[in-house]
This record gives sequence, structure tokens and C-alpha cells, in this order.
Amino acid sequence: MIFDANTALYIIEIVIGGLFVGVGVHFVPVGGAPAAMAQATGVGTGTVQLAAGSGLTGLLSAGMMMSVTDNILLVVASGAVGAMIMIDATMVVGNWSYIYGVGVPPASAKVDYDPITKNPQPPYVSQGTVGHGIPTVCYVSGTIGGLLGGAGGSLIYYALMNINHNPGLSGMFAIGIFVVNAVLASYNIQGTIEGFHDPKFKRVPRAFQACLVASLVIGIIAVLITGGA
Amino acid sequence: MDMVSMGLLAAMGALATVAGASEDIESDAGSQSNPNSQVQLAAQVGHPHRIYNKAISGEPPSNALYAAVAAVTASVLMSGFGMSAFFAIAIGAVVAAIFNGIYATTAYMGRNTSQARFNQYVYLDVLRTHTTTIMAHAYITVFCVVSISYIMTASWLPIQHPFPMPLVAFIWGLAIGAIGSSTGDIHYGAEREFQSYPFGAGLNAANSGDIVTKAEAGLRSSIDNAWFCAKFGGPITGMAFGLTVFLDNWRATIFDPATQGGLVVLTGIVIVILFNIYNRIMESRARKRYGPYPEYIGDIEA
Repeated sequence: MIFDANTALYIIEIVIGGLFVGVGVHFVPVGGAPAAMAQATGVGTGTVQLAAGSGLTGLLSAGMMMSVTDNILLVVASGAVGAMIMIDATMVVGNWSYIYGVGVPPASAKVDYDPITKNPQPPYVSQGTVGHGIPTVCYVSGTIGGLLGGAGGSLIYYALMNINHNPGLSGMFAIGIFVVNAVLASYNIQGTIEGFHDPKFKRVPRAFQACLVASLVIGIIAVLITGGA
Repeated sequence: MDMVSMGLLAAMGALATVAGASEDIESDAGSQSNPNSQVQLAAQVGHPHRIYNKAISGEPPSNALYAAVAAVTASVLMSGFGMSAFFAIAIGAVVAAIFNGIYATTAYMGRNTSQARFNQYVYLDVLRTHTTTIMAHAYITVFCVVSISYIMTASWLPIQHPFPMPLVAFIWGLAIGAIGSSTGDIHYGAEREFQSYPFGAGLNAANSGDIVTKAEAGLRSSIDNAWFCAKFGGPITGMAFGLTVFLDNWRATIFDPATQGGLVVLTGIVIVILFNIYNRIMESRARKRYGPYPEYIGDIEA
């Protein structure tokens, strides 16, 4: 392959995509194992698991869109919307589980009032827990997380597809780069985060730096490997 | 939009619903994922049990593995041996179920033997009866996921996804694991494992590990848990995955992505906005119906 200005542009796109993923994971409200026992606010699974589940569902939508158009905006938007649909459906059904299956109202323990609805939170938190369910602020934050994750994954896929025109290879590498950034971000989160209102969200700049370095290195490697295939 | 595409989309939605339900029941019968942290803890806090214990990995990676193994097997059988799709996918799902059985057995034996010092036994009857149940549910899940992937990629069908079938199956496997772990497992972890505590509260951290070990008659096993979760946790997981597969593909079916790409995206945005509004309505209703907790002693008014 020839290393020209276009190749540099594709690497930059991969880095931007990686950063979208890394930052997006911080928006996804995950309570980890405690949330599965309605012991913590957020979705009852791990950060990487939910971010990857939604982001890669978005990748399927982006792949479908890219097979019929070269418009970067449509491809990225399609991926973002696909990821948002997956994470929204999951969070709505997760709330069914909390509200109808466990009998708890959604409540956050990190803020006294929901920043969006202004509803008071502590009176609705059951004893011995740090919140449960997915209140509105977490839901909106999760939707933004899906948007960023889906857009990031799609942008990486778009760049790789322009290099090698092989959907299978590009998809596999996009998944790899996505997961690297999601895992890095989840180290920064250390298990649980409620969304953009959580004090842990202030750690985003650290993840930004780490994802920047990781995406750059892995972007160069991915371009070299897939471009030479 | 043509009628064949809509029919296939409906079939995908139905397959996804079945897959989601069986995935959740598989993880409940095997006690995988986050609620298993309490099963692990139970013996250590003095509650030895007959619950299966197969936290092989997070649900998304394990289901992605099963789906990819089945899809690769089916692909090879179809392309290399000219086998019909139905039988190829069925055989692929059998191979994935065998993988599942191997991992489940080694996880159960390994985890329970490592807790021998807490009087936790390896029950061979549990191993014999539960492993086959788990494998059977894994078979249904994988069969449905690979069938969806086949519908999306088969060259003679109208939906032409550019990814190869194993990659599509891998991604749907990851998604179904993420959904199962996020939705139905809460019914198992927060309700079924702690049924001895009053309904309507999260698990108090002080009661961690105090899972119910006795059944209506005799000792509780994971098949009792699967029976309970099949009434609510399983079906709602199916609805979540069904909604994801259906809505994500519906917008690309009613509009042509090649000429109406903007409308495909716009429809998705409308769906997302409706989800957000519905969640807000559901939250308000729950807060109104359940009210604040009476034991709350802070000074913030409800």
C-alpha cells in the first residue's frame, strides 16, 4: 500500500472514532454486579459489555448503510442510531425488570435531584442500596453513550473500508479497536458509573489521553495490516 | 419495501424474541453473569447450596463465541458440503451447545471444588440434570441467532448485509448477551435469589450472599430458578432483543437505504425519542404508585 495523505486521514478518522468510543463509554449508566441485585443505579451489567453490545449493533447498521452509499454522514449517523435503539430498548426493558419484577422505583444515589426532571432522589432509594433502576438522567446519558459508541465504531469501520474495501476484515478490525477503547475507558470508570452527572465522569480527560494514544498506535497497525491484505 | 422483506423481518423479530427468552433462561438455569456473584458468596457466608454455578465469562463474550462457532460450522457445511441451510444451522447449533456444555461442566466443577472449605459440595445429580437443560437452551438461542444472521446474509434473500454470516452472528451473539445480562438477569438476581426478603426493595448490602437455598419442597435448584424466571425475566429479555432486531432492521426495510438514507436515520431518531419519553412516563408512574420509602429519614422531601 502507498502511505499518502489519504492514509493519514484514515488514521485520524480511526483515532476520532476511538475517542468517541472511549468518551461514550463514560455516558453509559452501568451498575455492574450490584445493579443486578437492585443495589446500585444503572444497567445491571459491565461497562464494556453494554457499550460493545450497543456499539456493535450500530456497526451492523453502518455496514448495511455503507454497502449502498459512500456518504460518511449517513454511515456514521446510521451506526449511531442503531446503537441508540439497542441501548434504549435494553434500558426500557431493564426498567421493566426493576419496576415490575423487583418493585423498586428508578432512583439515583449520586445526586439529590435528577438534573433533568428535578425529581428528588434519596426518598426513593431503598435501605442499604446506592440507588436502583434507570432514572431519566441515566437514560438520557445512556442514549448519548450509545450515540457516541455507535458513531465511533462506524467511523472506524468507514475508514477501514476505504482502505481495503473488505467488509468482513474491516468489521473485525473495527470490533477490535472498539473493544480496546471500551476496555481502557472501563478501567477509568472502575466498575460503575451513573452517567454524565456522576462525579466519576470528571475522569474523562484521563480516558481521552489513554484512548488517544491507544487509538493512534492501533490505528496505524490496523491500517498497515488491513491495507496490505 | 416488498412483502418478502417484511415477512423476513417479522421472522427475524420472532426468532430474536425466542432467542432472547431462551438466552435468559439458559443464564438463569446455569447461574451465569452478575447475579452469580451472590451464588459464589453464599457458601462463604454459611449458605451452601444446590444452585448451578457457571460464570464462564460475561454473557456477551460467551454468547458471541457460541453464535460464531455455530455460524462458522454452518457456513462450512453449506459452502463446503452443499448442505441445506436448515440442517447446517441445526448442526452448527449442536456444536455450539457442546461447547456450552463443556464450559458449563468445567465451570461448575472448578468453582464448587474450590469452595470445598466452605462445605460446598459438587452435586453430581445437579451436574447431570442441569447441564443438559443449559445446553438445550443454548441450542435454541444459537439456532435462532444464526438463523437471523443467515436471513441477513443469504445471497438468495432480499436483505443483503455485507458482513459474512459468522461476523453477523458474532455481533448478534454479543448483543443478545449484553441484553440478557442487562434485563432478565435482574429478575433472577434481585428477586428470585432473595425471595425471603420483602418485595419492593433492592438488596440491602448487609444481606449479600443470603440467597434462598430452600424450595417449596426440598432444596432449591437452578431449574426451580429457571421455572420462576421463565414467567417474567425470560420473556422480557426476548422482547428487548426482539425490539432491537426488529426496530433496527424495520427502518431499513420500510425505506430504501440507497435512495432514502436520510429517512432511515430520521425514523431511528424518532424511535429513540419515543423510547426516552416512554421511559420518563414509566418512571413517573412508578414513583407515584410506590411512593417514597417510609424508613427514609433525610430532609429532602419526596
